[in-house]
Amino acid sequence: MNESYPYLVLFGLRFNLANCIAILVSAILIFALVFWLSRKPAIRPGKKQNVLEYMIDFTNGIVKGAMPGPEGNRFGLLAFVLFLFVFVNNQIGLFLQIDAGGKTWFRSPTADPIITMTLAMTVLLLSHYFAVVFTGFKGYMKGFVSPLAFLAPINILEEFTNFVTLAMRLYGNIFAGEVLLLLIRSLAFSGGSMGWLSFIAGFLMEMVWQGFSVFIGSIQAYVFVTLGMVYISHKVVPE
Amino acid sequence: MASLGDMLFLIITFAILMVLVGKFAFKPVTKMMTDRQDKITNDLDYADNAKKQAADLAAQRQAELQNSQAEAVQIVNTAKANGDKQRQALLDQAQQEVATLKQNAQTDIEQSKQDALNAAKNDVADLSVAIATKIIGKELNASDQQQLIDDYIKGLGDTNGAH
Repeated sequence: MNESYPYLVLFGLRFNLANCIAILVSAILIFALVFWLSRKPAIRPGKKQNVLEYMIDFTNGIVKGAMPGPEGNRFGLLAFVLFLFVFVNNQIGLFLQIDAGGKTWFRSPTADPIITMTLAMTVLLLSHYFAVVFTGFKGYMKGFVSPLAFLAPINILEEFTNFVTLAMRLYGNIFAGEVLLLLIRSLAFSGGSMGWLSFIAGFLMEMVWQGFSVFIGSIQAYVFVTLGMVYISHKVVPE
Repeated sequence: MASLGDMLFLIITFAILMVLVGKFAFKPVTKMMTDRQDKITNDLDYADNAKKQAADLAAQRQAELQNSQAEAVQIVNTAKANGDKQRQALLDQAQQEVATLKQNAQTDIEQSKQDALNAAKNDVADLSVAIATKIIGKELNASDQQQLIDDYIKGLGDTNGAH
């Protein structure tokens, strides 16, 4: 995590390989996990199916908390995949960070503001799309002048603040966590005459901070999905 | 647009992941969950129905049991009453028969007495005739009587003396 990344330019688009590799790895991990858990589903669930059903129930609970009505049924899959995706992307850099040749090849993708902004934008664009789907274009436009017409500027501003807070909250938490991981690591390897002491201290602190970061990453994934669903429900549920 | 590649990569990866997870994991498992929910609902309904039916049946049995007890008591009572009636009827019939028999016997006795008296009367008449015959020595019959009378008249004539 030294803010120097390997880049690949294809068709005029610049790809940050650190992000792409980590995203791909976490996507594969998620798919492998749920695919493995979901083999041979049955009315009487086995252990694996119970785990998966617990996770689905958890994310469905988030959706139902924001949208108790029938609208919520459409967003179960989105919440489930979004939660797993953000969760795994938050955690993956805690266990594995690869710096090679002065460049960072692997770390949490959500420690990059572009990634969190893209996720937040996806969620918010979906909220606008489903607002039109569920309430019609008129209802969607009416959402901007409710409850009162003169609140329209605030409503429009809210769209941007929603976007920025959703993205920046996740980015800030994960980025700060990874920076602190890096600092503790450099403390551990600071060397010098008391190098062994700083190594032991750094080792212990790194472990503690990793554990805490797992906690933070889980909370942030939960918060991200919850807020995303709340924003969608604001748009989708007629008031 | 320095990071457009990352954004596209993220969105496409996320979309593909969503499709795959939905197809291979989420849909089958949620379908199973819905099926299970339906099954549980059905089973609960079924259990409720069965419970209700069992309660109804038990109540019906109880009612039937009480009915049958009442019926049994009634049957016994009826039987008792019938028995009493029958006994009374038999008794009455017997008494009546006895009375009839007695009556008949009385009549018979009376008849016999009468007959006996009549017979005795006849016998007495016959006997007196027989005794008279014995005494007279001859049985009287019409012609004899005639002769007797004639003899008697002739005797009278003789005593008057012509011969």
